[in-house]
Amino acid sequence: MEEQRTEKQLVADAKNGDQSATASLVQMHSAKIYSLAIRIMQNKEDAEDVLQETFIIMMNKLHTFSGKSSLYTWLYRIASNVAYGKFRDKKHLDPNLSPDEPNFKTMSGHELHHWPDHLDDKLDDEAFRNCLMQALEELPENYRTVFVLRDLENMSTRDTANILEISEANVKVRLMRSRLFLRDQLLNHFKCVERPS
Amino acid sequence: MSKNHLHSVKIIKLVERQLGRDADAELIDELSAHMEECPECKIYVDSVKQTIKLYRVTDQKQSIPNDVSDRLFKVLKLKK
Repeated sequence: MEEQRTEKQLVADAKNGDQSATASLVQMHSAKIYSLAIRIMQNKEDAEDVLQETFIIMMNKLHTFSGKSSLYTWLYRIASNVAYGKFRDKKHLDPNLSPDEPNFKTMSGHELHHWPDHLDDKLDDEAFRNCLMQALEELPENYRTVFVLRDLENMSTRDTANILEISEANVKVRLMRSRLFLRDQLLNHFKCVERPS
Repeated sequence: MSKNHLHSVKIIKLVERQLGRDADAELIDELSAHMEECPECKIYVDSVKQTIKLYRVTDQKQSIPNDVSDRLFKVLKLKK
């Protein structure tokens, strides 16, 4: 019975051609990979492409999986690579983008305001949640990917740099700019909703 | 942050290192000490932390729609 096999056993069986073990691994991890893909790609069609390509690669390359990391970590790196590759294909992103990339809004020189109290309460507000998502969508892909991998997925700076094929310094710069951009976008939203009508 | 906040760049770097878990205890102490004396930096740091927290809280893992899952298994030629 599938539920009695550990992931390690499933991986070993899948490597030996056991289709039911492979299906169980896909079942175990597909929702998490889809969720990651949605966050990075910001649209369902591209996320589904990333999902399918990730598991096709898993099936073709599982024999190379050493088991040093968890299978999810391995899949996660594949999915991140596939997602970022799609951006590169679509927009010819330069992986060695300068940390001093122009025309990116930073908070430097912006007026600093106190944030509203009880922000957690606003999470029940659909308009506020939409604002959070919209701000994330407005981040350029090469910044959003860094923010998702580092801050939402807790991936290390080094792993993020390896996946995106950029320097660790560039990861840090993009992460800083992403955080500041999102912070400023949310601040604008607060100003709107707090303003008396 | 005001345009006249001359040490903002240094503080931003410290904050990023702390938030990025790249800071050692000495740097965190330095940042904490500075924020006690500098309300502007405290607001800045708190707001950046809050931004990240909001995204983490709202970052609900999505379930995979049935049709997406069905197509995945079909592409992989696997039985559910």
